[in-house]
This record gives sequence, C-alpha cells and structure tokens, in this order.
Amino acid sequence: MALTKEQLKDIETSLVDLASKEVGPLLKEKAGTQFDAFDDKANQVDLVTAVDKKIEAIIKESLNKLYPDFKFVGEETYQPGTTEIGKEPTFIVDPIDGTTNFIHGYPYSCTSLGLVENGVPVVGVVYNPHLNMMFHASKDNGARLNGEPIKVPERDLTLQQSIIALEAGSERSSGSSGDDNFDIKQATYKNLLSDKGGYIHGSRSCGSAAMNMCLVATGKLDAYWEGGCWAWDVCAGWCIVTECGGMVVGGNPNAWEVPVDERCYLAVRGGCTNPSQKTFVENFWSHVAGKLKYHW
Amino acid sequence: MSLDLRSIEDYLCSLAKEKVGPIIKAKSGTQHVYDAKSGSRAVDIVTAIDKQVEKLIWTNVKEKYPDFKFVGEESFVPGETTITDEPTFIIDPIDGTTNFVHDFPFSCTSLGLALNKEPVVGVIYNPHLDLLVSASKNNGVRVNGKTFDFSAKTKEMGPLTLKTSVVALQPGSAREGSNFQTKMRTYEALLSCDEGFVHGFRNLGSSAMTLAYICLGYLDSYWDGGCYSWDVCAGWCILKETGGRIVGANPGEWDVPVDNRTYLAVRACESSKQQEQYIEDFWACVKGSLKY
Repeated sequence: MALTKEQLKDIETSLVDLASKEVGPLLKEKAGTQFDAFDDKANQVDLVTAVDKKIEAIIKESLNKLYPDFKFVGEETYQPGTTEIGKEPTFIVDPIDGTTNFIHGYPYSCTSLGLVENGVPVVGVVYNPHLNMMFHASKDNGARLNGEPIKVPERDLTLQQSIIALEAGSERSSGSSGDDNFDIKQATYKNLLSDKGGYIHGSRSCGSAAMNMCLVATGKLDAYWEGGCWAWDVCAGWCIVTECGGMVVGGNPNAWEVPVDERCYLAVRGGCTNPSQKTFVENFWSHVAGKLKYHW
Repeated sequence: MSLDLRSIEDYLCSLAKEKVGPIIKAKSGTQHVYDAKSGSRAVDIVTAIDKQVEKLIWTNVKEKYPDFKFVGEESFVPGETTITDEPTFIIDPIDGTTNFVHDFPFSCTSLGLALNKEPVVGVIYNPHLDLLVSASKNNGVRVNGKTFDFSAKTKEMGPLTLKTSVVALQPGSAREGSNFQTKMRTYEALLSCDEGFVHGFRNLGSSAMTLAYICLGYLDSYWDGGCYSWDVCAGWCILKETGGRIVGANPGEWDVPVDNRTYLAVRACESSKQQEQYIEDFWACVKGSLKY
C-alpha cells in the first residue's frame, strides 16, 4: 500500500522539524572545530568525525520512534554488500553531507534526510544551518525553500550555455584499484570545458552532493554530474529536484532510468521543456569519456 | 601622501551595500541578453549591467575623490590603462559575471584602492548572502561592519599543510592552448593521491568571493591565472590584513605586482615558515607555466 500524498506531507514536516531543531544546531556549533578529531575511512580525504556518528544516532532514534515500521539506511551504519534498499518505505540519511566542508568550516555542510518507497525518492529534506537554507519536498506536494514554494524561472537550457557542478570526490588514484574512474572524470571535465568540446559557461564545486542537488533544483545551477557518491548523498535532493520539474538520470550514457543507489548520476534543472532536458542529457553524455564503474 | 584609509573603506562599504548591492541582487538571473567579449559562443560574458554599475561607481567615487585615478574592468583598455603610484581605485563592478547571468549566488562587487601599486583598501560585498567583508591597511578586517577576530580564527584552524587543505580552483574562460593544459594538469596533480592529494577543491566562479572566503577561514588557498587586478585588488588588501599572502601562480614568483595576472593566495597560519613551505609544496604540483 503506497503512502498517500497527505502521509508524505506529514513525514516531510517531521523531517523538517528534526533537521531544524535537533540536527542543525549541532552542525552549526561543531563546524570548523573538528580538526584533530577525524579518523581515516577509505583514505585521509574521506573524513569521518565523531559528530557524524552522533548525529546519525540521533536521527535514527527519532525516526524509529515516529515511524517504527520504516527501514533505515544511514551513511555511518551502512554495511557494504549487506545493506539493501528494498520496496518498503526506507529512510535514507546522510547526517552530515559535505564532511570535508564541515571539518574546514566551509559553509556548505548540511544534513540530508530522504525517504524512498518502491525505490523512488518521495520525501527530501536538506538543511544547511550555516546559510539557513531549508529545502524540503514530497512527492506531488511541490518543493519549498524555508517554507516558500520554489519557483524555477523559465529559461532555455543548452549545454554550451550552462554552468555545471563537478566534484573531484575522494577517489583519487589512477587505475590502482582496477578501475579508471578518476581518469575518466578528469577527461570528462576537460571535454566539457574545452572550446573544442562542450565549451560550457563554467563549472562550480560546492563539496556537497546534497547542496549541489538543491542548487540544481532551484535553477541556480543547470546540472550536476557525479560518480562515486551514495544513495544518502542524493536521495533527499533527488526528490527536491523532481518536484521542481528537474530530472535525475544516470551519469553514464543511455542510463535513462537508474536506481537510487546507482552511485553515478546526472541531475538537470527544470524551468524548461522535457525535450530540451533530454537533448541536454544526450549532449552531456556525448562528452563522458568512458564508463564509470562502481558495482562489481 | 597621507590618506585616511579607514574613512575610504567606510565610504566604499556604504557605496557597495547601499548602491551597488541592490542592483546586483535585483538583476541577477534576469540578463538573458549578453555579449561575449570574443565571439558569440565564447564564455567571457559581459552584460549591460556590468557597464551600468561601473559607471555608477565611477561617478560616485569621482565626486568624492576627484584626484584619484580609476581602473575598472569595463573601462580598461589593454595596453593603455596602467597602474601608477598614485591613489587608484581598482574595481570590478560585478565579479563573477557568469554567476550573475545564471543567478548562482556568488556574484559580488569588488572595490579596491591601491597606493604605490599596493592594495590598501578592500571592500567585497555579496548581496545574495548579504556578506560584506572589508579592510584597510593596518586597520584590521570587518565583516558586515563588525570587527573580525582573524587571529582567533587562525589559531582555531591549526597547521597549514597541502595535504589537509581545501583549495579553490577555477578553469576560467580561456579553454584552449597551453594555459588551459597547464591548469588541467595542475588540478590533476593537486588531486592525485600520488602528488598533492589535497582534501578537496572548490570552485565558486568568483575570484573576489574566493579571496573573501579565504580571509574568513573557509578555504586554505586559491590558485589561478588569467584574472586581472580588479579581480584581486580588494581581496588582496583584506587577505594581507589577516596575515595571508599572495604570490605568483608559477614557481619562484615570491613578489608579484597587483596586475600579475597569475596568483596563489594562501591563508594566514601561525608561522610564516609554514606558509612558505605550503607555497613551495603547492608550486611543486604546478605542471608547466602560466603566461599572459
């Protein structure tokens, strides 16, 4: 039985409450103070802090009380190979998205709270307490910024006249783990920027997938291309993007329909027609310099 | 010549906040017609608003400081406009014009004053974030008019090392030739686990906002080539007040003029030796040489 529009709105309201009252103050208070506290995860770039774990525990406990039947997937409790996202309603949560920003006090860390049902993101809440920006949406209920409906201005969308979020990510070796994702990404950036390639207006980098998704949702950025991030980095933002008339497809060519844990995505803004979005996506894909691979 | 730099700073702050900011905020994302300086498909965008805002700034400062020289992005004539030792306003009416066209909230106005070619007053205002960062030589730094305690911030940030730093990088609008290749290869070297392996890079699309963010302690450094004196003059003054430093983007360029066109800006830290080591480690990742 699918959740109703009203139920989704209630869940959205609960998540906004949780983000603003419980998570936001902690994020704001602790940002930029964690320099000696990080331990190594995959490597020294992928920083995890005690605060990250603490916040996830707080979110999990609150959601368990409110929605005891829903599943929960969080960045810090995720088990590679074991944790699966099924059809049942599942919260997908990143306690602190943009951990490097958080540690350095760069004001683009946020909390990202999403809900999927039948694999589709149906509720999304992203809160950046540093800039006091609360993005929230639920399926068929529209998207809001700090309570006000988001209206994406109508503008033509073309690849050459676009600004696109591109991140380096934390995977930085050339072919050492049997893949060449780092090289493919660097070559794709070059293709997009070069005057002989996409010659796009520009690239931008915020260091937070959830914030990039929200900037695409509101039309401040035209697109965001990423490989290597996880379901919790994009789930909440995905719902906000689609409620704003944008679309999310795969980062590899011809991947029109992808699951939330694809790990490789292209998000495109609204404010234009569906055919122009599709043309944009196809043009973008023509510059992708190889197949990014994250599933083995 | 003795100038009251603090009063010039205050004047530029009110000009930025009261007259320039509201225009940038109101017009951001509304300019669907714009020129590219070098052809229709090019990416060095300029709008009618850039020109209008520069004229507004020029008219105002001319009235208040009739003897000062003025160098602005839109009135600059290559090969003719030079910066002398006289007091000279060096201003970018809208820094981050591409952001301005796309309504990405990182366009700002950047108002600087140079004396003996040295940046001595700097005012940067981003109306989208309502963030005003200003300084004048030997007078410290203010954020939205309030004194900013950058020495406490510097202590809080801890040691400055390349591997633990977040670096601002911007490809810019030149997308061919050897400078573009040098930038791409340097980015890769900075990111690669075999070389710089920095914590991350950020790209705001505005030199002035990037320098402001370094002053506030949000970013550790910024490496760029192709920008002009008006992109960096205001930020340079503010950064210097915090104890930060600007050198050239190419290895060995320890002392550079304000119109050097290539820059490496580095945040303050507790020892100048550490800062110098950071600069040398950074330069070791520069692949080639940026020339303008």
